[in-house]
Order: sequence, then structure tokens, then C-alpha cells
Amino acid sequence: MRRNLARWALAGGAAMLLAGCSALGGPDESQTGDGEGTIELAEFPDRPYWGDTHLHTNNSIDAFGFGVRLGPEDALKFASGEEVTSTTGVKAKLSRPLDFLVIADHSDGLGSTRRLYEAPRVAILAMNDETVLRWYDMMHESPEQSQRAIAELINAAANGTIPEALLNSQEEQDKATSEIWTTHLDTLDRYNKPGKFTALAGFEYTLMPDGNNLHRVVMFRDGSAKTKQVVPYPGLDSDVTGLWSYMEGYAKKTGGQVLAIPHNSNVSNGLMFQLTLADGSPMTADYAKRRAMHEPVVEATQIKGDSETHPFLSPNDEFAGFGIKGWELGNLPLTRKTTPDMFAGNYVREALKRGISLEQKLGVNPYAFGLIGSTDSHTALATGDEDNFFGKHTGNEPAIKDRALHSQNLGTTSGRFGWHYLAGGYAAAWARGNTRAEIFDAFKRREVYATTGPRMVLRVFGGFDFSAADWDGDWVRKGYTSGVPMGGELSDGGKAPSFLISALKDPDGANLDRVQVVKGWVDAAGNMHEQVYDVVWSDMDKRVKSGGKVPAVGDTVDRKTAKYTNTIGTAELRAAWTDPDYRAGQRAFYYVRVLEIPTPRWTLFDMVRFGIKLPKDALDDAVAQERAYSSPIWLKPTAS
Amino acid sequence: MKLPGWTREPLVHFLVAGALVFAFFALRGNEVDPSSRVISVDREVQAQIALGFEQMMSRPPTDSELAGLVENYVHDEILYREAIRLGFDRDDAIVRRRLAQKMDMAASARAETEMPSENTLKAWYAEHSAKFAEETRYSFDQIWFSDESAAKAGLARLNSGTEPDKVGERISLPKSLEREDRDGVANTFGERFLEAIDRLKPVSAWQGPVASGLGWHLVRLRKLEPGRIPPFEAVRNDVENDWRSATIADRRAKAYQVLRDAYRVEIEQ
Repeated sequence: MRRNLARWALAGGAAMLLAGCSALGGPDESQTGDGEGTIELAEFPDRPYWGDTHLHTNNSIDAFGFGVRLGPEDALKFASGEEVTSTTGVKAKLSRPLDFLVIADHSDGLGSTRRLYEAPRVAILAMNDETVLRWYDMMHESPEQSQRAIAELINAAANGTIPEALLNSQEEQDKATSEIWTTHLDTLDRYNKPGKFTALAGFEYTLMPDGNNLHRVVMFRDGSAKTKQVVPYPGLDSDVTGLWSYMEGYAKKTGGQVLAIPHNSNVSNGLMFQLTLADGSPMTADYAKRRAMHEPVVEATQIKGDSETHPFLSPNDEFAGFGIKGWELGNLPLTRKTTPDMFAGNYVREALKRGISLEQKLGVNPYAFGLIGSTDSHTALATGDEDNFFGKHTGNEPAIKDRALHSQNLGTTSGRFGWHYLAGGYAAAWARGNTRAEIFDAFKRREVYATTGPRMVLRVFGGFDFSAADWDGDWVRKGYTSGVPMGGELSDGGKAPSFLISALKDPDGANLDRVQVVKGWVDAAGNMHEQVYDVVWSDMDKRVKSGGKVPAVGDTVDRKTAKYTNTIGTAELRAAWTDPDYRAGQRAFYYVRVLEIPTPRWTLFDMVRFGIKLPKDALDDAVAQERAYSSPIWLKPTAS
Repeated sequence: MKLPGWTREPLVHFLVAGALVFAFFALRGNEVDPSSRVISVDREVQAQIALGFEQMMSRPPTDSELAGLVENYVHDEILYREAIRLGFDRDDAIVRRRLAQKMDMAASARAETEMPSENTLKAWYAEHSAKFAEETRYSFDQIWFSDESAAKAGLARLNSGTEPDKVGERISLPKSLEREDRDGVANTFGERFLEAIDRLKPVSAWQGPVASGLGWHLVRLRKLEPGRIPPFEAVRNDVENDWRSATIADRRAKAYQVLRDAYRVEIEQ
């Protein structure tokens, strides 16, 4: 394959470089930049590169408090396939390494919990704040107390009751942040190997008004020469336009590029995808433009639930309930309950609809985003599969045998439990090679997709003249040359759009049940609609549609052994599909959802491994159909 | 007492001296000079503070922003000095751990910046050459079938001269890979396939069928290149990184052992 040539060309090039310069140690030049020109690229994106854009290490304010002592270096080693020992002493190795990783530690006092932990008790005493002192002592008392302290800290941040004493030492914090940040960037460069493994710089911006989650992962395209010129932007106590100003400042100052990825809209209490501005005034074209420019991708699935859609919003979608249990109850710390009127601002399918509706009015779509999954793991271990779940944070790594039953500190009293956690998703990026620039640019043009963990290969092209006959030729070339890939836009030419969709199962995972197209559109009166089409499924001759529905694929999961068999479903599903309900002039988007056959969730593995008993609710939820979501393709009126 | 040769290293002397200094101050306490009741926020400090802000926002702070930042700096400095004056740095678990960490760092600090000689690196390379081996590369063609009997029939057809293009079922998998490494093979075909291909011989004939998580494959393993060990010059940087991280770990362990040997530790049972 082409990328092999590339790798060899690189090896040769690196050798020549070395011969030509005096060796100074440290990483090669090719490792410290954006990777452009370091490897030979394929003509078209030739495979999905797998990654996690949302991993926390001991530099995160909450992860360290939750007990993780593994740092960015361990995280990079683990993601790139080396064995590490987890905080609780379990050896861990990823059977298939990832291709890229963004370590997204919270920017707020990046590393400041570690500093708090390491600070002399005196400095804490001197703060003369009982709360801070109590947290400090709890952190030193035991891992359990440490977790409790951080849960309180998160609640305080969410409720705006962070002790003054902690907020005051801004200068000290800036300095600490800066040191940790530059050390971190050097570490990333050392592990960044163009063609083999991409380490992207990033951080998490933790905006959370009243505990409503508006978090973003911020991801840089560039190497340390540029990223060292700034420090991460803090999230508490500001609004998102401040982050965008920061990003614009970075681009202007360094000539580099940066983007932001919103996540956990499911616990934003309707604030992530509003129809208005944050203060309730009408959405403006300027806001919409900035949002679309800076936030081209949304993380739709991760450990803290799935944000695709909710049965309340999509009553006709029989697969709408995935990963919503527990999370639908309220905002992140569960200080405020979620009411049904908030759901529309919480889920991505509705946001995509709102986006085209707003575009009809403003001429700009604020919510024209692609979709990815990631872990949001706080263990420094990027584990996304059901059988290797290391927990949300160190307090529920596998060493804690009844972790599925623990009530969660993010809403202890109100019905959120360990088993509500998903195992976490992954991001797939269609790129021409594995470098910072190629991966970042795939995100920027939205040629990315989400999975809930399995590595299905999903390819989607949209155009106006695709048909089943295309499968006989070089359909990938035709897809790119006469259509657009996922994330692209089509101009309405008065003809129904057609799509080439190909889904291949994870070679080490479960078979596929079906491929669906989700269409959203706005009618002439401005009303928003959605429709889910089953376009191809396994054993179509036996599973004949009745009452508009495809019969369920079946279920081979043995509840006693947590085993399933690939005797149902199929390895690959393909469809050339044309929209049967096309209306000229209507704004629409189309994305593809792929469902696997039912497989055990991590909770069932835990039950079998540790012999624990799950309550009925949890047992009912212990088998699920994992899935992939493509980024949408938009259909736009020609002259607007 | 007979000491090994490495104890003559300046590093070890430094460590021991450091331990003495630490012990001295631990006994005596850190006295803060009374004159330190003056805090001068000179232009240089202000510039540093302003720079911190500018690093974040890519613009300098306004005058009022700067005034606020300076006030915060003074606040922290006063509390820090008072804390030292009161001896709050003593008998503190975190200070204790932090200083222990610093000792560890001191032991390895020289290794972080040391320039090893070419001979040192070449010796390291010779001793650990397996670590720098290139990856095994696989070049093969494959034909996919959804079940085993079809794959067997396919093999028979190939053996009787049917063109490979006319055999097999359609799937979006590459028909061949060139010089792919193990991760790459596993990424596309899965781990079961990788295990299976390791049992095949690199010959020009079609072999199989072998199972993968995707179905069944006939494979023509055209070339198998075991990872060779490249010449020293090609991997010099990797050798240096490896030498450095190993040396750091080694020095820490040895430095600790020197100190440890000077103690008699009594653990009551």
C-alpha cells in the first residue's frame, strides 16, 4: 500500500537528515512540526485512522483527584501499543494500537490539582479557607476521600462556589500551567512519529454555567514551535466566544490552526445547541459563522453517554435509546434536572436540524458539524472496547470489582450509577496519511465518523449519479471525483441525491445488522423533520420488511458467559441509495448509522468475571447494539 | 570500605552533598532574612507577569488587568514568605515527598543533558541491537470468501489455472498489501488473520484457506521480510533516546542505593 512506500521514503529521508546534521538528541525535525512533507501521501484518503481525542491524565484537575497517577507519557505509550501498568496495578496493553491521540487535560489550573496535592500544607493553611483545607486533607487521607474531594470541587465549579482562595492565585496558576504545558508539548513531539503515530496537542475547555456542560476539547494542528507560544485557555468563569477569541489570537500570532470539539451535549440542559444566543437574544450571523468555523466536529458518543438522539425527539426511531439512561436525568453534576423542553438542545440530530433551519433564516449554519466518538477516559488509558473498559476514572478501574453498582459522585442521590457509563467511543478520520496535518485537516473538512468502540470501516459518498453499477469499478475514485465524501456539501441541482455507502465490520468484532440513512430537512413553512431509512441489512431475503420495519436481527449473547457468536448478521453491507422523498429546493442533511448485532456491554463482562449480581435495570441494559455514525452530507439550494 | 568505581562520579558526590545540605536545613530550619519584608515588584517581574498574560491571550494586558495581576503576585509572595517564616514547610508530607522527588531528579539531571560519546552509543547499540530492529514486512495477495467450503473450491479453481480476478467474492478489502507491518495487517484484516499468516510460507503458490474475523481468505504470501537491524547511523537518534532513558533510570537506582547503604533501617514487626 502507498503508506508503506511513504514510511520507507521517510526512513530513508530521516537517515539522510541525520547524516547531514550533528546529532543533538531529542526528536527528529519531522516529529516536532505539523508533519507536512514528512511522508508520501496517498492520492485519496485510503483508510480510516483510529484515535481518541479526549483522554485525561494526571495533569487533569479531576483525574488526579480521582486517583490516577499515570501521566501523558504513559498515555502515549499505551495508545501507541506499549504495555503500561495502570494506577491500580493492572498491566494493560492495547491489542490494536491507535493511530492518533489528543491528550485533553482540563485547562483550568492544568496540573493545579497536582500542585494542590504537592503544595505544603502551610500554603493551604495560609489561604485561610476551610473548604480548601478540608479538600487538601481529604486528598491525602485516602483514595476514596480524594475522589470525594474532587467531586465536591467539580460541584463547586459548576455552582460557581469555588473558594476565592483558589481563584486568587492566578499568577501562580499561570506559571504552573505554563511549565506543565511546555513539558507536555515536548513529550508529545517525542512520541509523534509521522506515518506511524500522531500525537496532537490539545486541552479541555471546561465551560459549565450552573453545572450545564458546555465543554470543548481544543485540538491543535501544529508542533511545539507554535503551540509553545500560547498556554491553554481556562474555561470556568467565561463564555465560549472568549475561547474563540483565544483561538483566533493563536492563529493570527503563529499562523497555525486550532479547532474545538463540543462534547456531552447530553448533559448541557439544552444549552449546547440553542436556537438563540446564550443570553436568549436572537442568533446572529456573526455568531453562527464563528461557531461553524471553529467547531467543525462534535463528539457524539463517549463514556458519559451517547448524544445522537433521544426517543422524545425521535419517537419513530426504534434505535434511539442508546446510551441515554442515567445521563438524561439532569446536567453534569445533577444539580439541575433536565426537562423535556431541554432535549432539543442536548442531542446532535436535533442540532443538525436546527442548523439548517437557522441557515434558512441567517444564511449561515452554526451547527454544520461532523461526528466523532472518543473516550473521555480519566485513567490515562484510551480504552474504548467493552472487554477492556478501564472505567471513567481510576476509582472504577477493573480492580474495583463491583464498580458497575456504585452510585456516581456526579449525581449520587439522583439515580446515576456505574452501569450507566458506556465503554467509550473512538474517532475515525479518513486521511491520506498519518500526520498531524492530515488528521487535523480530516477533522476540519469533517471527513470523520464516530463509533461506540468497534472499528467498523464506513465509507459514504454523496452525489447525483451514483448507482449499484459503480461497485463494479473503482468506486472510491468515482466517489471522490464525481461526488463528495462524508462531511461534504452538495448543491441542489433539481435531482434527487444518491449515495454510495459501504460498511465493513470490525475484523476482530461483531457482525453487522443493518445500515440506515438518517435524513433531516426543513420544509417550505420552516418546519423541521427527520426520517430514518433502513437501506441495507443482513439476510435481506429472510428478514422481509413488515409494517415498514425490518425484523430484529436476533441475539446470540449468552448472559451467563458474556459470549456471542457471529452466526447472525454479516461481514459487509453495501448500498447505492437514492433519496425517495427528495423535494427540489429543500435544505437537508443525510448521515449514515451502522448497527452491529447485539453484544455484551462491559457490565456483563464484569458480572461474569467478578461474579457480581446486577440489578434488573442494569441486566436489561447489559447487551447492546454498538454503532457508528458518519458525518452528514448536506444538500443546499443552489442560489441562496 | 570498598566502593565501586561509579561512586567516583561527580553525580554521586553531588547527591551526597545535597543530602547533607538537606539534613542541615532540616535541622536548622529555613530562616527568612528580615530584610525580605520588602517585596519589590520591579520592571522585570512585571514584564514576566505581563508575558504570562500575553502567552494566553496573544495580546498584552491592559493597565488595569496588569494591576490586578501584580496584586495577585504580591498576595502569593507575602503568604509564601510568612509560611516559610513560620516553618510550615517542615513536617509536611507533601514537602517531604516533593524533596524526595527533587533528589531523584538531581540524580538523573546530568543524564538529561549529557552528550554521550559516539563510542558509548555504539556500544549501547551493539548491546541492545534487537531493540532497533525494523518491523517485519508482509507483501501478499488475498482473495476473500464468506465461507470455508467456497474458499476450498476457490483454491481448486486457482490451482487448475483460473485467473485470480475470476475467483472469490466481493468485499471492500485491499486485494494486496505491499510491505505492510504487523500493526497495519492487523488493522485491516484483524488479529486472527495476522496469526494465520505467520503460519504460512513465503512461496508463490496460493495457500489457505485461512480464517479471519471477516471470513475466509486464500493468500499468496509473495514476500516476508523479517525486520533487519539497520546500521548504527540510521538509528543513531533512537539509540541516544534509549540510552538516555535507561541511563536516567539506572542512575536514580544507583544513587538511591548509595544513600540506602548508609542507613540501617529498622522495621518493627
